[in-house]
Amino acid sequence: MSPHFPPASTPSADIRGLSLHYPQGPAVLDGLDWQLLPGQVVGLLGRNGAGKTTLLEALLGLREPSSGQVQLFGQPAQQLDDATRARIGYVPQHSDLFESFSPAQLLAYFRSFYPRWNETKVEGLMSRWDIDRDKPIRKLSGGQKQRLSIIRALAHEPDLLVLDEPVASLDPAGRRDFLRELVGEVLDRGATVVFSTHILSDLERVAFNIAFLSQGRIALQAPLDELLEQVRAFTGSVTEMAALMARLGAQPLKRIPLEAGRERVLARLPAHAELPAGVAADRLNLDDLFTELT
Amino acid sequence: MDPTHFVQINTGSPEPIYRQLIEQVKRRVAAGQLQAGDEIPSVRELAQALAVHPMTISKAYSMLEMEGVLERRRGLSMVVAAQHQGAQPTADRVELLRPTLEKAAAEARELALPAAQALQLFKTILEEASR
Repeated sequence: MSPHFPPASTPSADIRGLSLHYPQGPAVLDGLDWQLLPGQVVGLLGRNGAGKTTLLEALLGLREPSSGQVQLFGQPAQQLDDATRARIGYVPQHSDLFESFSPAQLLAYFRSFYPRWNETKVEGLMSRWDIDRDKPIRKLSGGQKQRLSIIRALAHEPDLLVLDEPVASLDPAGRRDFLRELVGEVLDRGATVVFSTHILSDLERVAFNIAFLSQGRIALQAPLDELLEQVRAFTGSVTEMAALMARLGAQPLKRIPLEAGRERVLARLPAHAELPAGVAADRLNLDDLFTELT
Repeated sequence: MDPTHFVQINTGSPEPIYRQLIEQVKRRVAAGQLQAGDEIPSVRELAQALAVHPMTISKAYSMLEMEGVLERRRGLSMVVAAQHQGAQPTADRVELLRPTLEKAAAEARELALPAAQALQLFKTILEEASR
């Protein structure tokens, strides 16, 4: 462990057996378990409609689960005290800013709720990100609103940052700048960050851990480095594949049946496993992992 | 050293970012571009310059330290280790190309390319790059 990341005892977020249904609908989340530890930056991946936003909202206590528990810093997410609430920052997918306020009014308003407020950071970001302090928010562009929403979420120096598609309206330079801010949050305070995005190149830079949401559960969470080094795709007959998996001690993640009794198997090899000579295996990048595992 | 130009990373690669960092630093040390005592950017500087998680950087630095490429100094930034006094002999440097070329050779075989044609392509690419 580096000195920046002391091993932590209490998870920032701890979700156990979380299920959530919409009225008359199927389960969106189905017995989901998930832990986020201090200093982790976790990228949440899932197809459209997989329930990423629902999960992040339930994590924040904004949605009542059908069953299961969510704890933030050891407290039930729906009954946080003010001090714990002040440790959380949230950038929702859709801007929830007061449209008739100006950015200056909005920030002054939120400032009154928090014991901590980093005015230097706010002023720095407002200038760097070129946001007009006195224009009504409804007249700002989509990208400016998103930046303002990010500034609001960072201003009180949260220990847990939840970001739902935070960069969708930002241009590449804006996204890079935002990622630098995230890295700063981790460096300065060991903040826990969870964010969903479809821009995988961003995720690949900052997210040390990747979580795949599929069929209402976190199907897999692991450091991205390990997934790139350990997950391989093999093709062969069903019997060959079964023998190969056993021989390698590999954990099959997905099987895709092919014609003539053959299949393609995505499997996670044990750390530092050597492939036997003559066994063909494809390496995967993050795009491939996303396509195959969500 | 300016951290923004110290190394470059490619996203979308099956090669993890920490591996890319390790290989680039090794190549630059082997070429003598980085020499004994040269300071390298701190974890903080490089993480912010590249917008990469600091654990990724510290993982790469720790492995470079274990392999004797870098040295840690108490309270100071890391430096290139003392034994790296200059460019390595060509014979050693060319060996660093082996993994990449083995991969290219495997792909050439998959494509059923004649060796002469694959070599010609490599030659052309080398000449284009040096122009």
